[in-house]
Amino acid sequence: MNAALDKAAVFICHCSGNISERIDINFIKKTLKAEGVPVFDYEYLCSREGQTLIKNKISERNLDRIVIGSCTPSKHGALFKKCIQEAGLNRAMLEIANLREHCAWVHPDRAGATEKALSLLRGKLRRLENLEPLEEIKVNIVPQALVIGGGIAGITAAVNLADNGISTCLVEKDSSIGGNMAKIGKVFSPDKLAEECAMCSLSPLMNEVAANPNITLLTWTEVERLSGSAGNFTVRLRKKPRYVRDNCTGCGRCSMVCPVLVENEFNCGHTDKKAISLRFSQSVPKTYCIDPDHCLQLNGEACGKCAEACKSGAIDFSQKEEIIELNVGAVIVATGFEEYDASQKPQYGYGIFKNVITQMELARMLGINGPTKGELLRPSDSSLDSRTVSSTGTCGNESSYEDFSDNDSERPEKIVMIQCVGSRDEKEGGNRYCSRYCCMAALKHSNLIKKKYPGTEITICYVDLRALGFYENYYRAVQDAGVKFVRGRPAEVVEKPDKSLVVRLEDTLTQTIKELPADLVVLSAAMIPSRGTRKIASILNISQDESGFIKERHSKLKPVDSSLDGIFVCGTAQSPKDVTDTISQAGLAAVRGRAFIADSPKALVNEIPTINPLLCTQCQECLRCPFEAFSLSESGKITVDPLVCTGCGYCTELCQNGAIQIASFTKSQLKAEIEGVVKEGDLLGFVNSGVASLTCDNIGNNALSYPSNVKLIKVPTNLVVDKDLLLQAFKCGASAVLFIEDPPDSPRAEIIYPLTVRHFEKLKKEIGDSGSKLYFKKAYVPNTKGLAGTFTSLAREGEMIK
Amino acid sequence: MKAIESIPDSQLLLFKSCMVGQEYPGVETSTRYVFDRLGVDYCINDKQSCCTGIGHYTDVFEGLTTTAIAARNFAVARSCGYPNITCLCSTCYAINKEACEVLNTNTEIREKVNSIFREQGLENLVYEKDDMNPRTNFYHAVEILLSKVNEIQKQKKFDFSGVKAAAHHACHYYKVKYLDVLGNPENPQLIDTIAAACGAEPVRWYEDRTLTCGMGFSQLHLNKDTSLQVTKTKLDSLQKAGVELMIHMCPNCHIQYDRYQPVIEEEFDVKYDMVHMNIAQFVALSMGAHPYKVCGFQTHSVPLEEFLEKKGIV
Repeated sequence: MNAALDKAAVFICHCSGNISERIDINFIKKTLKAEGVPVFDYEYLCSREGQTLIKNKISERNLDRIVIGSCTPSKHGALFKKCIQEAGLNRAMLEIANLREHCAWVHPDRAGATEKALSLLRGKLRRLENLEPLEEIKVNIVPQALVIGGGIAGITAAVNLADNGISTCLVEKDSSIGGNMAKIGKVFSPDKLAEECAMCSLSPLMNEVAANPNITLLTWTEVERLSGSAGNFTVRLRKKPRYVRDNCTGCGRCSMVCPVLVENEFNCGHTDKKAISLRFSQSVPKTYCIDPDHCLQLNGEACGKCAEACKSGAIDFSQKEEIIELNVGAVIVATGFEEYDASQKPQYGYGIFKNVITQMELARMLGINGPTKGELLRPSDSSLDSRTVSSTGTCGNESSYEDFSDNDSERPEKIVMIQCVGSRDEKEGGNRYCSRYCCMAALKHSNLIKKKYPGTEITICYVDLRALGFYENYYRAVQDAGVKFVRGRPAEVVEKPDKSLVVRLEDTLTQTIKELPADLVVLSAAMIPSRGTRKIASILNISQDESGFIKERHSKLKPVDSSLDGIFVCGTAQSPKDVTDTISQAGLAAVRGRAFIADSPKALVNEIPTINPLLCTQCQECLRCPFEAFSLSESGKITVDPLVCTGCGYCTELCQNGAIQIASFTKSQLKAEIEGVVKEGDLLGFVNSGVASLTCDNIGNNALSYPSNVKLIKVPTNLVVDKDLLLQAFKCGASAVLFIEDPPDSPRAEIIYPLTVRHFEKLKKEIGDSGSKLYFKKAYVPNTKGLAGTFTSLAREGEMIK
Repeated sequence: MKAIESIPDSQLLLFKSCMVGQEYPGVETSTRYVFDRLGVDYCINDKQSCCTGIGHYTDVFEGLTTTAIAARNFAVARSCGYPNITCLCSTCYAINKEACEVLNTNTEIREKVNSIFREQGLENLVYEKDDMNPRTNFYHAVEILLSKVNEIQKQKKFDFSGVKAAAHHACHYYKVKYLDVLGNPENPQLIDTIAAACGAEPVRWYEDRTLTCGMGFSQLHLNKDTSLQVTKTKLDSLQKAGVELMIHMCPNCHIQYDRYQPVIEEEFDVKYDMVHMNIAQFVALSMGAHPYKVCGFQTHSVPLEEFLEKKGIV
């Protein structure tokens, strides 16, 4: 054994069979012990007992460096580092071999898996020889939080943060906070059989946001950019002009005189609001806002009627967009959902037949502040004109309600609701997940209609009725109220000449084909991540799941932590859920945000460039760093800003003198790992530690498999892999080398990706004949199958050559 | 789902169809007419045989024979250097794709088929696992047309402006392997997109759009009443929607509508105003092909003369 390793030890976790059932741990113990390396194993190393074992062995045997063979380091890496730190070691003196996602879960063949596990541990042991302690880099955390999105999730998070003494900025893209909850009128409650008024719960909360001295509310504002790092983010916000100053009293005279009617997004597209309006009557802030696309004055026509009518002089057509920069320590993303576009299922006629609507549109119709003032009508009969402008446009008053009762619109007598539109749908254009809220929304709306119009016949076509927990009581009550249920996914909705509809389906309980006549068909459309959610994920560079929801770090242990430290997520931006669950989760996000801010000063990632002053010739090539992390100090020394550096390793390529190395990924460390891991005929993959690494782990999570002669080594990015390392890999017997890179889907990766492609092409040329054995692959998180397929085919090719 | 960018335009074996050949040979000549003008690299190989689909679905050929014949045809495609099997008929498409999957994944059947070949001294037909890829070696001719839709539009000589057309997408394309089709299988737009490029006005949605043609292979003969009732249901919906041209992509549907429309008219005492064409005939016509010498409309049962005259083609 190498002298550097005489105080080293290996710890192997059984992971309750996850690892031990596929890998012969006794064999590994025997083999390594024969080579003089002490090996310990335990059922769960991540448990307190497991950590105590590690700590005890460190002190008993005076260990100075250790290897742990366990699940992926992205799961318990931080935990184990903390563990050895508590035992007095430097956090950098730990190596983790991924025996679960990279081995036990992907190699069904026990002999192959065991052999690979041994080589992964050997690689890490070789790496240990070259480890050096790293100094901690600490930074103070800005004691301020940013909450993005002013729906019920964002409001709850902001109020909770503020109540805990954290100065919080709440940013909302619309002109008022309130989000989707403001639209839905009534909310169902698990323990009552009655529906509660959504606005009655929401409005006081919204007012609390406006009144809380710890909250700065920025509406009509969007997040443009986020830079810096956890604990010290710089956020750039774009505040659009409202053309109405804050001294607006909300009297509504302006809206009364405005001659322009516009489409009202709040009322699902009804043209029932004025170009100057509030989003809804209880808007917070109660400051009117001008629609710049439709206002006559702003589009070059002389109008200015609102300015004339305003007694406070609040109208200001000269307002300009503002750019605001904020410094915050933590961010909570609460950007919510939108409804699935049901026109992707043309067989249901949404967007083709007027009397096919979604649950959200029905919610608006049933809402007393909605386009029909709560009257249930057939959309094909109602022609909304300016008389019926909703109260948000201020023309709404008691008389418009009567207008509705007077007109000759027919009330739908037969209503059919179709569940799982775009949810639980494996076809192209659908979503595989259950949207969780729609069964209850359909039950709630059925119950409301039954109460108000007892004669209405309502049928709900369901796939499975999911009324979880106490909601079962509500489901039973709705059944008792006479709502009918048919199990089956309808095939088609047909429109008759009188605009009435027929829903065709198979009742799968009686196995009969049914045709259900309907005056109104309501589609329970899936909950999908809002455009804002998708956009913010890319701006903040946080991971999303395959459907676009923001992915939590761990579904059980870290359900509100995003993939980046200091950024948290809650509500429907994270996954489909109802108001109740959203509020619980938002509370947790606030607690996590506060805990993060309170934990100041914070240790930064220290796997960043180190500069060897003896080798540095001050050629200043490294200043070409695309993130501008390098600078030349006044004394002529090159320095790195740890807050800006992403650790990508491009500087190691720029530096011709080998003066720059990435800590923990030095050439000698990588070379040692290659020598330990690679055997004759192996496919060696260098994996970017970001999305690519997550994708490799997901192959294991998805129970796919690939040959055990595929070996993966984690690198910050493939920019740290140079010609020498490649030649070393081939010398050790690698049949091929694969670079697995993050796709250019985030601001950081957009910069790094082209560099890695260029780097790859350059290397391919430089290594001559071996160039044909060097491959490159982009790894998208959902494409686990594709990546496993690439591993398999490249490994098979290698076998054939062998 | 298939990506439109991945549709090849070279090494295509234009797979002859028995239904096209004997009922509407104009579909094949139209496809060739269009492919020639679009610069598509294809070949027709006389060694290729029928896919057996019609026989298979009427219980004449069992699965093993069908698979063996498919393996033979795959060998023909590979040996002539045109391994991308491109079908005129959606049944050939589904049969070939399915047979390829079976040959790749079911070792027992593959070995059985290969042992028959070996016994007969037909070593050259032996199929090794993954010789063909069910996802990347099988296409329907309409997919090639869609991938060239911009070029078709450029070469358009005759504009079908104002023609109210309805697409009837084939179930053996969209329903058998619904995870590997172009676009949303619940909302197929293949024919609609091409027809629109030729100037026609595709009816976005009509009642019973997703309904099958009614043929059901043996059903047409064993349960003729049901079969024709289904066809009639769809024809009624099309009539209501004011459709004048129905565009097909499968000769089986084409037969069911074109040959049986007059039968239904007589048996049910109804009258329909629509005519029928395959999408290849439609595109060829739009690119200037002769309606009889290329498109072969003389073989149709519902006469197209009135339609062609009204549109100023003849």
